[in-house]
Parts: sequence; C-alpha cells; structure tokens
Amino acid sequence: MSGKNEKNIVSSLRETLSSLRLTIGLLIVLAVASIFGTVIPQNAAPEEYLRVYKVTTYKILHILGFLNMYRSWWFLLLLALLCVNLIACSAGRFRLTWRLISRPREKLEEPEWKSLSPKKTLPLKGDPRDWASAVREGLSGRFRAPKTIEEDGTVHFFAEKGRVSRLGAYFVHLGVLVILGGALIGFFYGFRGNINLLEGETASRVTLRNGGQVPLPGFKLKLDQFTVSFYSTGAPKEFKSVVTLREGDQNVRSESIRVNHPLSHRGLTFYQSSYGVAGVEKALLAVKEKNAGKEHLVEAKMGVKTELPGSSYAFVLTRFIPDLQGMGPAFQVLSLEPNRPHENFFVLQSHPEMEDRRPGAYRFQIREITPRYYSGLQVTKDPGVPLVWTGCLLMVAGFYLAFFLSHRRLWVRLSARGKETLLEIAGSSHRNRTGFEEEFEKMFQALRAEILTPGNRSQEREGQA
Amino acid sequence: MISSKLVTAVTFLYLFCTVLYFNYLVFRSQKLGGLAVLSTWAALALHTAAILARWIESYQLGFGHAPLSNMYESLVFFSWCIALIYLLWELRLKTRVLGAFALPFAFLSIAYAALSPGVSDRIDPLIPALQSNWLHAHVITCFLSYASFAVSCAVSVMYLVKARREKPGGAEGGMLSLFPSLESLDSLIYKTIAVGFPLLTIGIITGSAWANYAWGSYWSWDPKETWSLITWFVYAVFLHARFTREWRGKRTAILSLLGFGAVIFTYFGVNYVLSGLHSYAS
Repeated sequence: MSGKNEKNIVSSLRETLSSLRLTIGLLIVLAVASIFGTVIPQNAAPEEYLRVYKVTTYKILHILGFLNMYRSWWFLLLLALLCVNLIACSAGRFRLTWRLISRPREKLEEPEWKSLSPKKTLPLKGDPRDWASAVREGLSGRFRAPKTIEEDGTVHFFAEKGRVSRLGAYFVHLGVLVILGGALIGFFYGFRGNINLLEGETASRVTLRNGGQVPLPGFKLKLDQFTVSFYSTGAPKEFKSVVTLREGDQNVRSESIRVNHPLSHRGLTFYQSSYGVAGVEKALLAVKEKNAGKEHLVEAKMGVKTELPGSSYAFVLTRFIPDLQGMGPAFQVLSLEPNRPHENFFVLQSHPEMEDRRPGAYRFQIREITPRYYSGLQVTKDPGVPLVWTGCLLMVAGFYLAFFLSHRRLWVRLSARGKETLLEIAGSSHRNRTGFEEEFEKMFQALRAEILTPGNRSQEREGQA
Repeated sequence: MISSKLVTAVTFLYLFCTVLYFNYLVFRSQKLGGLAVLSTWAALALHTAAILARWIESYQLGFGHAPLSNMYESLVFFSWCIALIYLLWELRLKTRVLGAFALPFAFLSIAYAALSPGVSDRIDPLIPALQSNWLHAHVITCFLSYASFAVSCAVSVMYLVKARREKPGGAEGGMLSLFPSLESLDSLIYKTIAVGFPLLTIGIITGSAWANYAWGSYWSWDPKETWSLITWFVYAVFLHARFTREWRGKRTAILSLLGFGAVIFTYFGVNYVLSGLHSYAS
C-alpha cells in the first residue's frame, strides 16, 4: 500500500513540476518578488536601513533575505525551480513535437480529411495517375520535395515547410537555461574587484568587493597617465587611463582604458569606473614682492623647494588642504625668506585678501591647482559571459522561429470517381491561420492554372521522363 | 531651436489626428477616416523631420549625437515609434478604427515632452557612459517594443469595451459597429505582443551587452533592469497562458493591460520613484 502511495506522490510531484500552471505561478511569484527587490534598497549599509525602518522591521527583512534578495536562498530556489520546470515541461512536449516533425503524417485517413480546413476540390478528367506528375510539379514550386504515395489507384501527396518553427519555443527555453548556466559559472568562478592607482603606480593585486585580495595572473598593471576632459558645459567628456601591462621585466601592452572601452588581458577585464583627487601635483602661483611691487608667476611642485627667479627667496608647498575650515582650498607654505626666521602659514585660494594681514615681504596668490588624480579601475573575471551571449543568441533565434515562421502542411489526394478524377487539397498551419488561408487560396488558384495548362498533360510529361 | 518648435507642432497634429479618428468612429464616414490616415502619415513625416533637425542641431552645438539620450528625446522617439508601429498595423489590417485608441499614446508621449516643464528640451553632450553604439541598438529596440505593447494595450481596451457592450442586454451599434470582431481583436492582441516580446528581449540583451562594456557586468539587478525583467515575465505569462493553457479574450486582454502598466513603470516609475543607473535619463 505504502509503495503505491509513494508512487502516487512521485508521479503527482512529477506532474506538478512539469506543469505549465507551475511555470505561470513561478513567473508571477518571481515578478512580485522582484518588485520588492526594487522598492527595498539592496545591499545598503545597516545605518541607511535604520534611517528608514524600525529595528524589528530591519531584522525581519534581514532574516528573510530581502536586503540581498536576488542572492537569497529562496530567490535562487525559485530560479532553480523554474529551471527544473522548464526542463521537465519542455522535455515532455519535445517528444510530441519531435514525432510530429520527424515522422509527418504523409497520408490522411478519411475523418482527418473531413476535419481539415482550408480545403478545396477540383474535378478532372481521366485517370488519377495521369495528373500525378503535373500536381507534383505544381507543388514543387512552392513546397520542397513533395512526397508521393500511390495506393489502390489513389495518389496522395504531402508537402510541408517551416517545420523548424515548431522548435522555436525549445530554442528559447534552452537559451534561458544556457544564460542561467553562464550566470552560475560567473557566480562560482568569477570575481569582481577594484584597483585604485595614482599616476606612476603599479598594481599587482585586485581588491575584491568583500575586502579580500587576488593577485593579477602573471602580470602587473602600471598607470602611466590619467586624464579627464570636460565639455564647455562642464559635463565630463572622457575619462582615460593609459596603462602599461608588464610581464616579468617586459612591457607587453600599452593601452588606454576608457568608459565603454575596457581592456582585456589573461581572462581579466579592466573597466574605467571612477576617479578622484588624491592630492596636488603642482600649483601655479603669483608671488608679489611687497616693496618692489613686482609679481612673479611661478609653478611650484608639492614638497619641492621653489626659488623665485632673480631673487634669493624660496618657498615650499608642504601641504594641501582641500577645504580649510570652510574657506576653500588652501596650501600650507614654508617661507624661506632671507634674514628672517622661516615661517609657516596658510594661503587660501578663495580669500587672497587674507595675505595682506601677514607680515613678511612676499604675498601669495593661488592661480591654478593641478590635482593629482587617482584612477579607479574595476576588474572583472567572468568566464560565464560567452555562455550568456550564446544563450541570448539561442533565444533570439528561437523567437524568430516561433513568431515569424509557421509550420505549413499540404495534403493532396487524387482519387478515381468513376471514369473521372477528383483532386482534393487541404492545408494546415500551426500559426497565423488567417494569413495561411489567403496563401492557400492563392496557391490553389496557381496550382489549378498550372495543371490545367494543355501542355502539362501528364502522359506527355511521363513520356519525356 | 527649430526642432523644439516642430515637436510642438507635431504634438498638436497628433491631437488633431486622434480627434479625426474619433470622429470617424462616431460618424462612420470613410472620408473622415481617409483624412485621419493621411494626417497621421503627414504627422509622422513632420515628426521624422523634427528628430532629424534635432540631430543636426546637436552637431551644430559641437557635440553631435543621435537624439536618443535623455528623457525629452526618448519621449519624442517613443511617440514616433507608436505612430510608426500603428500605421504599419493599419496598412496590414486595412482597418482604421484602432487609430482612435492607439494614437492617444503617441500624442500623450510627445505632449509630455513638449509641454511638461519638468522635461528639458536642452541638447546635452553625451557623458562617457552613454558614448556607445549600443545606445542606439538598445534604445531603438526597447522603444519599438514599448510601442508594440502600447498598440497591444489600445487593442485590449477596445476588446474590453466591445466585450462589455456585447453582453446580453448591452447596447449594440454606435461607435462599436466599426470595431473588428472580438475574435480578431483577441488575435491582434496576441500578434502585437508577438512582435513586442522579441523586441523587448533584444532590448534587454543589448542593454546587458552595453552594461557589460561600460560597467563590467551584464546584469546587476538595478531597478530599471529588474523592472524590464518584470515586464518580460508578465508578457511571458501572457504567451504561455495563451499558447498552452488556451486563455483567450478578457483574461489575456487584462494581462496585456497589466504588461503595459509594467512597461510604463519601467519607463517612468523607475526614473521618478526609484533610483539606479538609468537615473541620468530623467
């Protein structure tokens, strides 16, 4: 008894897993869950959640996986279930479809003739066999290689086209599975991380999202130059990192990485993802001699002693402060004025008037600050990507087959009616019936015109062959 | 800018066409119908000119790019796609009644671009992330699919209106006498979706390919991506329900409305309600 029960459970489980009801249910549940995922911010910091939610709400959402929902066990389970359902459902139907296209019904029985539509008849003179080759010719023009069966004086023809259209849905389903397979490979064998580099620096490791580090496989990456350019409107135009890849002591590649133009090397791909100011490279300063009233324009590098041309005065930019107590960018300057103790003071870019209050013979004005940029490169390894694109191609091919082609079949029967012959022709299309009816009508008229041509009498034709 | 003025003109032209189509329904005059069709083709021609003019203007500003890059341009293009897809169906079906229901979508989309103070018609240069040929493939396929779904939504509305009236005891005739049969409306809902769904799929694929080039990730569950997938799920349910569970009529018409609701949320809702990678489009 229990064995039978188990069998029942197994078979009903199998039935459920391969049912379309489950497919539709899963798609709806996935859609609704995804809505939650777009409304609840994903992977944000706990503080951000606590600003919006109560502590208990936050904890419940956290436990249920709603804060990293698309990777939560239940969401992945739903996807896995969809795959199982897709396979079970498609496999079950595929057997029927395959039988239909590999073993077509070439000869119809009487009841099938009755039920088919569209259908036409044409009375002809003479014996059915006299007309066979003319009909064959007529069909060949439109359908590939019609099959002929002769039986008890009746001639049957069968022709079809577009049967591959029946496979469309399977291509699409296979595509979905291949894409998810590619995603799975990426999940297990891929990683994503960052490299932040100052110009001139070399990296040999990638910092992963979770804080871990991975060495670059067999090469190092040096940032030669980073540039940002802007449109006249102030919007960014281009971010570009010029990099050199080194393997051992050899420079193997020197290329630029821009947004939308990543660089791939040894299975890793580098993307221009961010940039920032890590400090100051140099500054253009106007230094005024208070007594002489002379102004010098000098370019000063950070931390390097800069001499004023034609004088014994020198200074060092020791520190850059992006915003000094809300008064904007400032340099800390070490002034090396002869015959005076060395002085340390701040020069503000936006408040040049402050300089007038300071003792000493030289006044500074900041004309231009050249920042020292760092470039943020995203580094990705995803061996699943080719599979994902393959899946996409399968899907698109499947849609073409499924929606833009149709499986059209044609049966013709020539049977003796006393001393005369009756031609019957019937067709079927598994999609776009109205369109097919028009096509059928046209085809029938053309076929009729062709076989009724006097030169097309079958005896003559057969004599030639 | 000439292009903005053309867009405003086209907006009123579409309103005029919509009114003509409605009059055609009410008065059942073939002359009115012919006039409606003619004006819609004229509107589409002028609309095309407006888009081309904006394209040229962007080059004159020194940062030329196809006008497919911000909210204003996408609304204008969406409207263009709706008018085009509608007219192509009209040619194929040889019936004009759909116009009264489909053209309002073309009008509303372009009217929102032309008249809303929240949508700027300024031509901006492309930020680095948008400088990609994938932009064109992505935007064109997405909006052609959205337009197909808009037409499908229009047909669904017609179906529901007609089904309601045709109930026993319902009034027959009037505007509805020109409507195609329920059966052909039902099959048209399917046909428009059968065009829109593959296009949406290609739109999502080209978007992923682009994201993979720009950000190194073909899918990142950003709200816009997720909502496009939700839309895809809804139409996938529609197709499966229709194909294999033999759903017809009212239920599939409602599913089609639901699908278009998801399209609209993907397009607007995500920009205004949620935030994500596509927020620069607002």
